[in-house]
Amino acid sequence: MTEYISHSLEDTDRIAKDIASTFKGTEVIAMKGGLGVGKTTFTRGLAAHFGVSEGVHSPTFAIVNEYKGTVPVYHFDMYRVMDEDDLYSTGFYDYLGKGLIIIEWSENILEYLPEDAVFIELSYGEDENTRIIKRM
Amino acid sequence: MIILSIDSSATAASAALTEDSKLVGEFFTNTDFTHSRTLAPMIENLLSVSGKTTYDVDLIAVSNGPGSFTGVRIGVSVAKGIAFADDLPCMAISTLESMAYNLILTDCIVCAVMDARRNQVYNAMFRIRFGEVERLCEDRAISLANLKAEISEKYNGQRVILVGDGSTITMREVMDLPMSVEMAPESIRFQRASSVAAAAQAHLAAGEKPLKSAELLPSYLRLSQAERERKEKEAVKQASEDNAN
Repeated sequence: MTEYISHSLEDTDRIAKDIASTFKGTEVIAMKGGLGVGKTTFTRGLAAHFGVSEGVHSPTFAIVNEYKGTVPVYHFDMYRVMDEDDLYSTGFYDYLGKGLIIIEWSENILEYLPEDAVFIELSYGEDENTRIIKRM
Repeated sequence: MIILSIDSSATAASAALTEDSKLVGEFFTNTDFTHSRTLAPMIENLLSVSGKTTYDVDLIAVSNGPGSFTGVRIGVSVAKGIAFADDLPCMAISTLESMAYNLILTDCIVCAVMDARRNQVYNAMFRIRFGEVERLCEDRAISLANLKAEISEKYNGQRVILVGDGSTITMREVMDLPMSVEMAPESIRFQRASSVAAAAQAHLAAGEKPLKSAELLPSYLRLSQAERERKEKEAVKQASEDNAN
């Protein structure tokens, strides 16, 4: 496990790019963390490393956004996905191995994630601008 | 009878035109999930090089699952669309059953398996004798461990051949059984439209009535009830633990 401390949006962005530089672009990134903790900012950083410069926003209603980068980036929000039937009907399994898969609210589908998924946990730090980012 | 058959239930997609027992043409691609862009042009090209139009077609046969959610949806939607426009009769064929027809000349037990992820497969068993396919169980989602147990109990001593994109993971599972299980050669291992047509012909010959386009539905074969129940139990347990804290 690696732990990073962020003191700003810029820090979170830089840490995300740092972590992304270790990826090939076919990984499944399972993110966990409460509202406003920076999941989407973190995702923007990951996507930016793979050449996605704009348009990254949380796919709460669409469930998945696709971004064209140097590899395809698939951005999922599993907030409304409650069981495996739901997951299947998002087409999730069809995306595995086709590009970088970034999942917000991955705790909802924990038992269905591939064994080699990369876990990122974001949590609040001591003050309102501080975040703790753990990579597992 | 001219049958236009379609399969896009997994990563490959294909369309075939058969006239009675003759395969007039078949278009096959295996280029990952691009079916929404490629399937309709494939059908258009297939008809055009065969000198036919949809008006010449008597029946549309489509593999309606199990398989990839997106793939199955695209195949069934395209079939429905063409059938609706020209009011053509349709037939839905199980993807697993269609693959049994790949081995139609070999007397054997066909174990059709498609990867359903996390050590599960979509599966059905068939017996082929004298060029006829007999279904031995319904399409289902089953764990590799349970499938292995069933193969060893029920089919020991018989010639069992695996077809489908779950063949490799199934083979790995059953390798240490004291019986021989074979994998179909690569060229006839996977689902394809011409086999969907062959299955449709057998269904017609057996007296099955075709469907209207509106009656054609995907069959996703949802994952096992047991798993969903387990998850519900876990949720209840979690909730009571949360309350206790």
